[in-house]
Amino acid sequence: MFYRKSVTEPIRYGYAVGRVRVLEGRMLSGGTYERLLDAPSFTEQRRVLSDSPYGRFLEDVETVEDIERGLDRALDELYGFLVTANLPLPVIRFFRVRYDYANLEARLKAELLGAPVDDLLVGLGTIPVEVMRGPAAQLPKFVRDIYMAFADEGSEVSEERITTTVDRALFADLSESAKDSKSRFLAGLAALMVDLANLKALLRARTKNWRAPDAAVLLLEGGNVSGAELMKLYSSSVPEIAEALAKRGPLKGVSAERIVDLGNYDVLADDLVVRYLKRARMVAAGPEPVIGYVMARQAEVMMLRMLLIGRLSGVPTEVLRRRLRERYE
Amino acid sequence: MNELFWGMSGMTWALMGAAFAAIGGGIGSAIGITTISNTASGIVTEDSEKFGRVLPLAAMPGTQGIYGLITAILVLQFFEILLQTTAPNIPGELGFKIFLSCLPVAVLCLVTAIYQGMTAVGAAGMVARRSEDSGKALIFPALVETYAVFALIATILMLFSLRGIYMG
Repeated sequence: MFYRKSVTEPIRYGYAVGRVRVLEGRMLSGGTYERLLDAPSFTEQRRVLSDSPYGRFLEDVETVEDIERGLDRALDELYGFLVTANLPLPVIRFFRVRYDYANLEARLKAELLGAPVDDLLVGLGTIPVEVMRGPAAQLPKFVRDIYMAFADEGSEVSEERITTTVDRALFADLSESAKDSKSRFLAGLAALMVDLANLKALLRARTKNWRAPDAAVLLLEGGNVSGAELMKLYSSSVPEIAEALAKRGPLKGVSAERIVDLGNYDVLADDLVVRYLKRARMVAAGPEPVIGYVMARQAEVMMLRMLLIGRLSGVPTEVLRRRLRERYE
Repeated sequence: MNELFWGMSGMTWALMGAAFAAIGGGIGSAIGITTISNTASGIVTEDSEKFGRVLPLAAMPGTQGIYGLITAILVLQFFEILLQTTAPNIPGELGFKIFLSCLPVAVLCLVTAIYQGMTAVGAAGMVARRSEDSGKALIFPALVETYAVFALIATILMLFSLRGIYMG
């Protein structure tokens, strides 16, 4: 079995890996990020990016909405690469399905608040935007079931419940897609993402002094550390929980001070994901380098979004620098 | 003189050895080249200037197929099978020994070509990132080649010895 896989995987993923090896070299360097941070204006940032793969997506861009649209087009092209590279459908789904759930969440919240949904939907998922905003009966089953469950509840729906329910379904879907892909690396990545989401939920709930049963509801299935295991820590104080988490699980080795800094938890979580992805660089052929590259490009787009919109909105350079994530290099 | 060995004639054993060598080397080379060629195609798709630098890597696993062919030709030539109009007089025992002599190439060329293709994929990654490392990148797959060459040398020496002993 192992021998068969070691022969077939380099053949199956070889073309994609070859392309990725070249494309990795075109990712933004540390120097480019420094120049983007030091750039005094958005126009100067656009000039810095003119020779990068993002240059053509940011031509004539002036407003925050233009930046969002340009970077969404860059992401769409990235996901198109997954298709042309002939990657298995579960792998493609793993990357795109989060946008379906984000769109579902946006639609449910917009309907709850009586706001228009059109501007909130992103066309990067597996479901076209037109279908996503159309009649519920035409939605694919995996989002329709969630939508109908909320529709049946009527006035008892809250924004928080929508977020919790959609997140739970998203992570279950990601775990399922990772399992279907038969890639141990992708399964490990999905489990790590669940762990990091659970730890964030645990720390948030404990900081707000929620009752243990209310906190337990937030914890997702499919992580390396079970919800029951995490809930054993819940009776301790936040610093004690941070100390315990710093000694085991996905946060092992991270300082307790950094763990309790919930305002920057997302930066920490993204750094840990990048550290996991860096293992992919040690693999010569297989799905790992492709998955690592796509995740790294997603993170790159996220950082660019923050730097460009931050500069346009007048956010101080030091704040932007603190929000920068570890790079995949 | 033309007795059977384990139920097969010497000629059959000899041809089976030659065929195994050619088939083993050929299968190994085909898999090895497919493996590295997929990656090389991906690299050239994104950067066509790297074609010349990845081509030697893609060609490298092809040598094992050549070693298999050389072995098959040597068997046919040494034991007077090639272009004969009558069946050559190969004793069953000699045929079996010819078969055994072909095994190093048949097995090692099959295995090393596949692994060479995999090693070349890693080496192609080096070339994709830094073109100037293409010389260094060739060395790692070439190390795998060493064992295919050793197998060929072993097979040739054994065939020479058998020819000397049995054919005079």
